[in-house]
Amino acid sequence: MKIVARHDEAPGVKTMRLEFQDAADHEFFKETFRTGMFGLYGVYGEGESTFCVASPETRKDYIECTFRQSGRVTSALANADIGDLITFRGPYGNRFPIEEFHGKNLLFISGGIALPPTRSVIWSCLDQREKFGKVTIVYGARTVADLVYKHELDEWQKRSDVDLVLTVDPGGESPDWKNRIGFVPTVLEEAAPSPDNCIAVICGPPIMIKFTLISLKKLGFDESNVFTTLENRMKCGLGKCGRCNVGSVYVCKEGPVFTAAEVSRMPASDL
Amino acid sequence: MTKILFSDKLDKCVERWKSAGLTVIGPVQRTNISTYAAVDHAAELEFGLVLPDRSIKDLFFPQSEPMLRYTIKKESINTEECLPPAGPRIIFGARPCDASGMAIDDPLFGWDYKDEYWFQRRNESVIVTIACTKADDFCMCTSLEMSPDSTKGSDILLRPLAGNKGWQVDELTDRGREAFRTIADFLHESSEPLAPSAVVENKFDLDACVTWLKNPENFESRFWKEISMRCIGCASCTYLCPTCHCFDIQDEGDTYTGIRRKNWDSCSFALFTMHTSGHNPRSTQSARWRQRIMHKFNYFPGKFSVNSCSGCGRCSRQCPVDMGITETLQEISKLSL
Repeated sequence: MKIVARHDEAPGVKTMRLEFQDAADHEFFKETFRTGMFGLYGVYGEGESTFCVASPETRKDYIECTFRQSGRVTSALANADIGDLITFRGPYGNRFPIEEFHGKNLLFISGGIALPPTRSVIWSCLDQREKFGKVTIVYGARTVADLVYKHELDEWQKRSDVDLVLTVDPGGESPDWKNRIGFVPTVLEEAAPSPDNCIAVICGPPIMIKFTLISLKKLGFDESNVFTTLENRMKCGLGKCGRCNVGSVYVCKEGPVFTAAEVSRMPASDL
Repeated sequence: MTKILFSDKLDKCVERWKSAGLTVIGPVQRTNISTYAAVDHAAELEFGLVLPDRSIKDLFFPQSEPMLRYTIKKESINTEECLPPAGPRIIFGARPCDASGMAIDDPLFGWDYKDEYWFQRRNESVIVTIACTKADDFCMCTSLEMSPDSTKGSDILLRPLAGNKGWQVDELTDRGREAFRTIADFLHESSEPLAPSAVVENKFDLDACVTWLKNPENFESRFWKEISMRCIGCASCTYLCPTCHCFDIQDEGDTYTGIRRKNWDSCSFALFTMHTSGHNPRSTQSARWRQRIMHKFNYFPGKFSVNSCSGCGRCSRQCPVDMGITETLQEISKLSL
């Protein structure tokens, strides 16, 4: 796939927009991609890395991915220029059942670099805004600099049909920071969204998910109305290579999207 | 009256199969290790082993194999898919545990996405298994609903005749029958006394173990820490296991040309599941050993209705610190009493 745009989101974090080179591949993507699915992005000579597709299912002319430069493959991806070709395998995995969210209020909760998978769902819903009730987004990062999609956060903040709650961890605020300070679960409890007719989509580091689930329970959310996506290490994406499973669940095949009820049946210490 | 293949005819059979275009593979003793390898003459085959150190998995799922080659030019990237070298093969002298190991992994490589690398080799291979007449302390097929003359995964089962004279031939599949039709003139119709089968004592109560493993309370049992305390995470058990199938995908080469490879990997390694963030779902050796046992006797059978263990005992036999599936399941049997 060809890199047609890229920009820095946060220190070490980049977003790239990719376009298909082969019409048949693009057609296949258009037919199969639904929000929540992931892909393996690669650079020949370096290898492949697994990230979600960060663009929504309502915009299938391209694929966007956001990643933190960390190892061999992500460094090669980060160094690739506009016009360069990279590989993409996918889309793999299951999806968020968005049709089931129609007519409901939506609560998105996300932390740090985990906004990209949530953002795919957010735009998939905002692009057909009339089908959903109230939309609340709670997003936090360690520091102001670590917030990703800053331009889109501005856009969401300005929209009257989106309620955006931004927070940074204590100590991560900048002098001109006007939003919340505190960890995501705490800020969520303060915002206290109603669980009535509401679907929650949460994505973040394992520690944030753990405490956010507790907060959602306190707020009265039913586990079957809470969706998350597990971001395990993967190599094949095809249910063979054996590393992504949690208990008997192959995250690459049966996931990455699960309800909190499904997650609670998995062995907690293997998450 | 049954079909008999006498040992002294085997070399002629090897020659016949070779001239029919088959690669003949069998157990051989190398300097430091016994394994399955291609041979030119029957004399190279070593039938005296309980079983070779390495399993026949290597023949279907090699330790390292290229998946594609890439060449990058100024404006284009060319890739060439590398499928396994084609060609029919006959594996003469597999053990029942090895043959069944391949059948156990078929559903894994076949579910949803069909792994061409595996199935091309499966479809081009005839597995001729020799029933066991000897076993050692590590053999545990009988504890896993199998036996020294199990037929699962085999195209032909040979039962050794008394006095090492040859084998009684049981043709099990069309593929086996076809391979033996080419050597029909070397087979005899007679009744010969069979060598006594190996005796493999029952080592643990599988049903009790599975019940214990399926109880969610036991997931956090102290037992896992105690049993795996001496595990050094070397992965020998997973590499030698006929059914362990985990792999990694790595690129090898430079910016302009190279190979994308599939390499064996192991749940024993800490890096196997390590996230980029540093978070590791299975961060301790005991969590990793628990995963291996759970996968073989709880998760895999839950998905594919078969235990991911054929009872060869290599994990215990070759373990540098004397632990393995046998020891673990024996301990679990005791816990579940």
